Amino acid sequence: MKLRLLAGVSVLTLTTALSACSGDASGGSGDGGASSLTVWLMRDSVSAAFQKEFTTAFTTAHPDIDLTIQTQEWDGIGQKVTAALASNDAPDVIEVGNTQVAQYAQSGGLLDLTGKKADLGGGTWLKGLAEPGSWEGKQYGIPYYAANRVVVYRKDLFQRAGVDPAALRTRAQWLAATKKLNRGGHQGIYLTGQTWYALAGFIWDEGGDLAVRKGGRWQGALDTPQALAGMEFYQELQALGKGPKDADEANPPQAEVMAEEKVAQIISVPGGADIVAEQNPALKGKLGFLPIPGKTADRPGAVFTGGSDLVIPAASRHQDAAYTFVKELTGDTWQKKLALAMSYVPNKTSLASAVASDPGAAAMAAGAAQGRATPNTPGWAAVEAENPIKDYMTAALTGGDMKREAAKASEAMTRALNSAS
Amino acid sequence: MSAVREHTVPRPARRRPGRTPPPPAAGRACGDRGGPWPYLLVAPAVLGMLYLLLYPLARAVLISFQDFRLRELISGNARFVGFANYRTLLTDPRFWTVVRRTFLFMAVNVVLIMAIALLVALMTQRLGRVWRTAVLSSLVLAWAMPVVAATTVFQWLFHSEFGVVNWALTSLGFDSFERYPWFAHGTAAFAILVTLVVWQSVPFAAITLYSALTTVPAELHEAARIDGAGAVRVLRSVTLPMIRPIVTLVWCLEVIWTFKAFVQIWVMTKGGPGDATTILPVYAVQTALSSQRYDLGSAASMVTVVLMSGVLVLYFRQMFRQEGEL
Amino acid sequence: MSAAHATGPVRRTPAAQLRRLPLHAGAALTVLICLFPVYWMAVTAFKPSRDIQSADPRFVPHAWTLDHFRTAVQADGFAQFWRNSLLVTAGAVLLSLVVALGAAFAVARMRWRGRRQFVLAVFVAQMAPWESLIIPVYIIARDTGMLDRLATLTLIYFMVTLPFTIIVLRGFIATIPAELEEAAQVDGCTRLGAFRRVAFPLLAPGLMATSLFGFITAWNEFAYANFLIIKNQENRTLPVWLSSFQNTFGTDWGATMAASTLFALPALVVFLVLQRHVTSGLAAGAVKG
Repeated sequence: MKLRLLAGVSVLTLTTALSACSGDASGGSGDGGASSLTVWLMRDSVSAAFQKEFTTAFTTAHPDIDLTIQTQEWDGIGQKVTAALASNDAPDVIEVGNTQVAQYAQSGGLLDLTGKKADLGGGTWLKGLAEPGSWEGKQYGIPYYAANRVVVYRKDLFQRAGVDPAALRTRAQWLAATKKLNRGGHQGIYLTGQTWYALAGFIWDEGGDLAVRKGGRWQGALDTPQALAGMEFYQELQALGKGPKDADEANPPQAEVMAEEKVAQIISVPGGADIVAEQNPALKGKLGFLPIPGKTADRPGAVFTGGSDLVIPAASRHQDAAYTFVKELTGDTWQKKLALAMSYVPNKTSLASAVASDPGAAAMAAGAAQGRATPNTPGWAAVEAENPIKDYMTAALTGGDMKREAAKASEAMTRALNSAS
Repeated sequence: MSAVREHTVPRPARRRPGRTPPPPAAGRACGDRGGPWPYLLVAPAVLGMLYLLLYPLARAVLISFQDFRLRELISGNARFVGFANYRTLLTDPRFWTVVRRTFLFMAVNVVLIMAIALLVALMTQRLGRVWRTAVLSSLVLAWAMPVVAATTVFQWLFHSEFGVVNWALTSLGFDSFERYPWFAHGTAAFAILVTLVVWQSVPFAAITLYSALTTVPAELHEAARIDGAGAVRVLRSVTLPMIRPIVTLVWCLEVIWTFKAFVQIWVMTKGGPGDATTILPVYAVQTALSSQRYDLGSAASMVTVVLMSGVLVLYFRQMFRQEGEL
Repeated sequence: MSAAHATGPVRRTPAAQLRRLPLHAGAALTVLICLFPVYWMAVTAFKPSRDIQSADPRFVPHAWTLDHFRTAVQADGFAQFWRNSLLVTAGAVLLSLVVALGAAFAVARMRWRGRRQFVLAVFVAQMAPWESLIIPVYIIARDTGMLDRLATLTLIYFMVTLPFTIIVLRGFIATIPAELEEAAQVDGCTRLGAFRRVAFPLLAPGLMATSLFGFITAWNEFAYANFLIIKNQENRTLPVWLSSFQNTFGTDWGATMAASTLFALPALVVFLVLQRHVTSGLAAGAVKG
């Protein structure tokens, strides 16, 4: 009869479980007071210390607003934001990757902030953040922070190979130096086959683009002569190390690979250097930063401006408070602090001097002048989700016919770009 | 030896005095043809299926006939477009490639799973107690490993630079596998996914088949062997017919499960390289969630269900007829 | 019978041993193939980050660390998410058992109009395209104010596992001789009373087998947990938490594997403890399949 007892216990547990569930839910969502503000920031977009400092200062300045910052994970974030925008009780401010804003703006789920542009100092916003944040002439995303890739290099290995980092101004010089570094058990550069942000930069340098708009329709443009030249350079550079050709820089995290002391350079945001030093303290102080060399010596290479915008969902119940938050966090005071704390490029060009003392940020700022964004269309999110660019790169690097693969990838991009519109 | 051993597995079913009497006997004895009881007993299940399954399914069908994207999800006013989504889908050559690939994926997986599971089950049945426990425990461990963790580990095993597989092959003298990029080649990526799905599915199938084998009375084997039948013969004409219902059930479940395999593919390759590992569920999610064409995604799922039923329709018919005999 | 088993190994001649060699080799191979990925997961959780992906893989780490487990356990909301997952999973599994038991009994032991159709519907329900139902489910939950609630997840997981549970339990009940219950009925029990006293205890293995299947399904589910729990972050479940070790620079694999190990542990323990019941449960349940 032990089983009868078991059955009894089961039913009991079930009842408690269910009542506990519902109890929880009502407790959590019931406090819809006018002043409670929920903000979604992405994991690691701000450090814990910065978040604490900001929250304390914000609640002191605005005692009527009860601020809750929730950290979101990268995995499945697209679906999560979609679910939030369509809900009746959305979070009030959401951090959205700059390339993702257009698709949400198009859906009508975001609050139009065009009228507030002047109030927020929109005149000097970074183009790479402000342009993707707008859709059909209206501003939905407010520039939050930017980061672009630089060359993170090992000072000691450069010295041993007799390479002067300051003299690396052109791609040719860069290739020659990397060849010198790729010796004696060391990799000249660890560049994975699918680091498509880097490829985008090379393509822009050649005068090409990832996709172009022709007659109201977006088309993949990886098969133009300029884009192919960019890929050829990528291939030459990639061969000067042992980066896997069928993986991207996150798999394994390239900072961890560099921490093993066998790699002279990686292409990364400056924050990557902190991870290297954290994994292997012996490398602390041995890491330097370079803007990615350009085609000619007179200007550094074009880079993809990565970063985030802040958006206010139309379904937010506290839009005024939300705007107050956006204004504070994207304002000059906190932007300077944020850029210093996180090695970011601040959201306005007028604030660039704030980070001049930080070598990583300085190298980044030099590149940021050549910052570009991905095509500003709602369909771009679909391209990133499927990422035919990555497949193309792997195919080209593993002996596929570059031109044919590029045409194939461009076709896939065209399909994805126009699928959403 | 194995004949003796089979009987050492304690099973409640062994308590029955002989063959199971056909259930109708029980039914008739109690005289409860009609009456409210059966309906009350199935009511929660029926209500659950109606509200939690049929209702959302009907909404999904509705969406597949509408112009339904992120905008409509937010605002709620969707326009009917008739069969436009189905037309878009069925005239897309890419879709048909995906359908063909899905069937290939399903067939390869199901055949491998059933064959390997049956071999493992037959082997387990012949093992001594220690080995049997070891095999069953490892099967269970493999089954319980979180899908995401299993997928990640497989991804590592085949990593071109740091993977154990390339390392092992190169150490064995196959130098062409030095830094071989598995995920760059469609066929290789497809094969890795098949390996993963088979690895994850065999435990359930093998354990179930093994348990079915233990219910085959040993006397039958003895008798067949005394009649001079070889091992293969015994398997074919005694064992397999006895466990046929369960083999069919496992087969049916595996068809459904591999047809719906999604998480592994999504985590490992996202359907790439190119479209090489895009099967129907991946295609549906790509369309629905990445391009936010919920209408097309819904239509793709409906087509998937229809195709899947096509594979299983014979099984369903047979089952329906058997049920009638009760 | 047990005597025969006990003397078995003793009587084995060297020749017989030799004949069994391929069998044991096969068993060893099976164990190896099954366990290697599991072993790799567990061992990675104990490796220092720098050794996790290195050019010469080590099967036995040369340095051990508990750092990853510390990271995993100290991550935000560890205990909370565990509690949520446990509540949702246990709720779904128990609900599904109770509902399925009634339905399975009706199908296996009673004759009624619509029985065949019901069984067929249960089988067809097994094919439900859950990954595409997520949008309609979301809309329904939103319009009925059920977003952000663990109860919603519980109901969905209940529905996902219900068809399988009914199928297996149905077959299981059919193998229990009805005479036993009839005898009890003669002794003055009601029909259901007889079932409860006599048949229910015999059902234990079947209940175990099906509940473990449900447990694994519900315990692992990510898409719905990510989509339906929006603003109320206290209600997130473990699979969502597993993804929290990814950041802009890649994934902290050590912590992910430590978390996965912790995450798989309950299922493993329950499985190993009940292994015998699970096996016999599936067998009996499926014979009638």
